[in-house]
Amino acid sequence: MVEAFAVASGKGGTGKTTSTLALGMALADEYDVTVVDADTGMANLLFHAGLADVETTLHDLLVADADVSVSDAVYRRFGMRVVPCGTSLDGFAAADPTRLRTVVAELAADTDVLLLDSPATLASRSAILPVVLADRVVLVLQPTIPALSDALKVEEYARAYGTGTAGLVYNKVRDPDAVERIAERGAQYFDGPTLASVPDSDAARSARRAGEPLLAHAPESDAAAAYRRAAANIDVQSGESEAVADRFRSAVIPDSP
Amino acid sequence: MNPTDGRLVHSRVVSDPGRALETALDRRLTGYAVLEPQETLLLGATGRGLLALRDGLPQLAYYTGTGRGGPEALADLAEPGPYSVELYELDAERLPDADARPDRRVSPVMPAERLAGDPELAARVRALAPDDAPTGDGRPSAVEAFLADEEKIAAIRAQARDEARTRAEEWGLADELE
Repeated sequence: MVEAFAVASGKGGTGKTTSTLALGMALADEYDVTVVDADTGMANLLFHAGLADVETTLHDLLVADADVSVSDAVYRRFGMRVVPCGTSLDGFAAADPTRLRTVVAELAADTDVLLLDSPATLASRSAILPVVLADRVVLVLQPTIPALSDALKVEEYARAYGTGTAGLVYNKVRDPDAVERIAERGAQYFDGPTLASVPDSDAARSARRAGEPLLAHAPESDAAAAYRRAAANIDVQSGESEAVADRFRSAVIPDSP
Repeated sequence: MNPTDGRLVHSRVVSDPGRALETALDRRLTGYAVLEPQETLLLGATGRGLLALRDGLPQLAYYTGTGRGGPEALADLAEPGPYSVELYELDAERLPDADARPDRRVSPVMPAERLAGDPELAARVRALAPDDAPTGDGRPSAVEAFLADEEKIAAIRAQARDEARTRAEEWGLADELE
């Protein structure tokens, strides 16, 4: 049983990777969770998860003549399975999105919740791939006009591919009362609920510097509590693993990135 | 609010309003920033956004296209871009008194934080305007005003929907579309 979520935002700097790992850890209390850094061009999950020095990453699985198995790039950390992506340009250049689909299909066969940390852009076919393949998106945004515009765009792109919306995480919130009003007014436009409003937090920055997910670094912080609420508000709808795996396998993705 | 009272010191086209605000802040501009969206989501929604600034910090906002001021003017000004930007320098005493125009008042950080969505720029403004506070008069924020504009939101979604389908064709993903 698996449901695949693309954790997405239309632009960078929203705290998407922090959110992916935080939601993953919170969901791991109840589910078998696998987190994948699907942002193959701007990977940074490895720095958030203390995996900066690992030998094998998703990039190694995406090259044409990969001589490593998927399990070589899976690391058990913080109660989850984590698949980091490398940061070298060579690795990105050699990566083939067609193979991402196959890798994710293999991971999907053996987990309850698959979280894909997605690129912060909609501008290329490799960037849109996680949104195409996921069951639903989790939108991470700040309470600003451009961020809301971007979130609306991501939702439309997702909807075009039959991908639903699990909900919105307002992140780096400085004025919770204002965000409550914004979320209330924005609710009419989005298909999913507001999952949480996460306060702007030194704990998140400190966690990033320490190379640890927020929920491991500062589990008592207000931000961590907000992410746990967000996770509890996601109604995971696990489909049959094989159906999801089939979908990943059958997606027609062009060879060139 | 009449920018042409001032001296034109900067003129160019930028991708987003944050760059105009940043330039005004870098120059500690006292005067006006005039932002004109080069494309608008809705037909006939053209206009110019006027921001009155002191020492680079926004104080008043007005949008000529709708005649609205304050946070609503920032919402009206929000378009996909690009924007043509002109900065005018003016003697401080010739700027309108912000306290006399509560309908056009914005907090200094609001344009950077809510219109531009630029947290670094917002932090710079906040450091220079430590007493910055929401206008607190019960008016909707710029973001709320933006979300209240159902026509504009519908246009954003329709444009994204068309773009998603066009790009899917370009990327060979048309078979994946619903």
